[in-house]
Amino acid sequence: MVGSALKRLMAEYKQLSLNPPEGIVAGPVNEENFFEWEALILGPAETPFDGGVFKTSLLFPTDYPMSPPKMRFISDMFHPNIYPDGRVCISILHSPGDDPMGYETSAERWSPVQSIEKILLSVMSMLAEPNPESGANVDASKMWRDDREQFDKQAERLVRKSLDLPPDL
Amino acid sequence: MIKMRGLVLTGASFALTMSVVVNAWMQKKQFYPTVVYLTKSSPCMAVLYLQAFVFVLLLGKLMRKIFFGQLRPAETEHLIEKSWYAVTDTCLAFTMFRDDFSPVFVAAFTILLFLKAFHWLLEDRVDFMERSPVITFVFKLRVLSLLAILLFCDVFFVKTSYQTTLTKGASVQLVFGFEYAILATIVLTVFLKYVLHLIDLQSENPWENKAVYMLYVELVTGFCRVLLYICFTAIMVKIHTFPLFSIRPMYLTMRQFKKAVSDIILSRRAIRNMNTLYPDATAEELASTDSTCIICREEMNAPAADAQPMQNATGVNKKLPCGHIFHASCLRSWFQRQQTCPTCRLDILQNQTRPQTPPQRPAPPPAQPGQGPYPPMYPPMYMPPPNMQHPMFQPPQNGQAPNPSTSESGNSAPSTSTAPPVFSPPPMPPIPGTGPMFMPPMPFMPPPPPIPPNFEGLSEDQVRSMEGHERRAVEMRIECLRNISLLMDAAFHQVQQYITVVQAQGDAGLRINAMPSFATQQQQQGSSSQADVTSGSHTNEKQDTSSGPTSTEDVPGPSGLPQTSAETNDTADAPSSSSTSNNGCETDDIPADANELRRRRLAKLLSDKSSPDHGKDD
Repeated sequence: MVGSALKRLMAEYKQLSLNPPEGIVAGPVNEENFFEWEALILGPAETPFDGGVFKTSLLFPTDYPMSPPKMRFISDMFHPNIYPDGRVCISILHSPGDDPMGYETSAERWSPVQSIEKILLSVMSMLAEPNPESGANVDASKMWRDDREQFDKQAERLVRKSLDLPPDL
Repeated sequence: MIKMRGLVLTGASFALTMSVVVNAWMQKKQFYPTVVYLTKSSPCMAVLYLQAFVFVLLLGKLMRKIFFGQLRPAETEHLIEKSWYAVTDTCLAFTMFRDDFSPVFVAAFTILLFLKAFHWLLEDRVDFMERSPVITFVFKLRVLSLLAILLFCDVFFVKTSYQTTLTKGASVQLVFGFEYAILATIVLTVFLKYVLHLIDLQSENPWENKAVYMLYVELVTGFCRVLLYICFTAIMVKIHTFPLFSIRPMYLTMRQFKKAVSDIILSRRAIRNMNTLYPDATAEELASTDSTCIICREEMNAPAADAQPMQNATGVNKKLPCGHIFHASCLRSWFQRQQTCPTCRLDILQNQTRPQTPPQRPAPPPAQPGQGPYPPMYPPMYMPPPNMQHPMFQPPQNGQAPNPSTSESGNSAPSTSTAPPVFSPPPMPPIPGTGPMFMPPMPFMPPPPPIPPNFEGLSEDQVRSMEGHERRAVEMRIECLRNISLLMDAAFHQVQQYITVVQAQGDAGLRINAMPSFATQQQQQGSSSQADVTSGSHTNEKQDTSSGPTSTEDVPGPSGLPQTSAETNDTADAPSSSSTSNNGCETDDIPADANELRRRRLAKLLSDKSSPDHGKDD
């Protein structure tokens, strides 16, 4: 008999492989351990991150879906809502108890209704529309607000890096 | 890369040691002088320490290979993180026992750290059982043998330190003793969890109560640890000094324990709510919605009729007050964390009373229009003749008078339904807004007149009295006022609920004290517009005559109601407003009084709206 967390992860994996949402590829790192996933996120079109393929890791707790997974960008990122070490700061990844930035209502927090797909889609839309009010990366927030051109350049560089292309000169 | 470097370092250490020993041997040529030379020279000792450290690491690697095989990245990360903290704590401990500092002492600490690391790894590994679908025989063998070895080591060291302390008095051994005792509790926890996981894996169905048992395991071992730490601190403070190095683990243990306690409480509450408050979803309800449990993403099947005894099986689905349906087991594990609906985040604990009220809830809506600004729509029972007021509304027992009438309406026996006893007692009678809650089900009572769609119920005079604007504008205003009245009704319901709470505490005196003040407040506010009231009471009379007899029929005989005829009802209005001071008990007056006041207030609101300049005067 397998635990409910594993069952649900398997169900979500199946769902994601059958109808993958556009711009997202996700699955467990190996089939032995369904609690560690990797996901590739395509930078949304018409944004500074357009065309990039960003690698992320998802770590699921044993009580998933009661607690949210931990998500982290493995590719280098420069974004107001991504910590310099790659951790992602979006509200649906926070369980209702904790609020690192002190601005979230519990309505936008994690609940078992959320899913991996929703998380990844939220992260995609976060790439498209940063929320500078909850700056996980203060430098990026500042640059995004004050010097958009520079920010776009930085993002462009990261896109090229994520595709293993030489940096533009 | 890292592996290479480790290999090089190990090799370098071996080479260094060899050279040091060979060098000493070449100088002294004999065993004993060589040893003396080596131990006397600090550089030599440093090299030897390094070599010992390398040996320990190698041994650790060997043991890890034997008992764990390959470590997962998460395990390595945990190990490194915890090791740093442990090393820091150890260094703090060194400062406390600098007098005892010796190679033996360092060795003892190294062994302690070494064993601790294996405890952590084992903890992680057993937790991993929950995630991994396949548990091999080798895995079980490894876990069990390592558990046995660690337990043996812990017990052995506890015993040694106990004996040392007995024979040689208190020393560093005390610290070791406690450390090993705490490690022993970890072994116990891991073992219990292992057994639980094993049982879970063996069974075909998900084991519902596993989470609860896990919580209890945490609670018990957490309690043991807290006790140990408290004893340790007490003893250390007494014989030595405050053990700074154990503050961090002690704090963590306490926090963990506190969390275990609150988890237990929350989960118990969740289970209780689950079993008592929320109804099982029926097959129709399941069919009418998407029958997937959004928590586990699996089908919800309607429980078979013969599955009754399996209360907690997955087959049972629960419906929350907001109408969302989930597996009972999924919902329970969610409620252990949060008491909201997973889908719409309705706060379940705040809405606890909701599910009980439905028997009454449907009642108010039809009555509410009658509470609008227009007196004619008042339900008849509001104006009982003065002689009726006493028996009907005085003490709590009589306050239930409306109850029989509800049950007479034919749906249930007076005593079987659970909700009425809770809500019927006196709370309502004093508050006008709530009265209708009891009334509507009466079989013969004409439904309160609906609000006339074209406002034909209003004479031209009345419309003109509202400033004489064009009719459409007035109608709009009335529309708005009706909304206000709805809001006010809601407020009255709330007041009534507060009163229910007050009375539920069984304090009758409180009620009597509180109510008059409430009434007088209202009086002050509403005493201005007398004219409206009189016009209102006129129409009210008509209403009373039409429905009075039927309403009296429903009230049980002893209160003397059957005798009261429509005529007495007709005269009811005048006394009810004027006789307030005559009645012995103050609480009795409130129904009529507050009722009236409320009407006045509404009337005033009405006039305020239609003539803003007048409104400002108040």
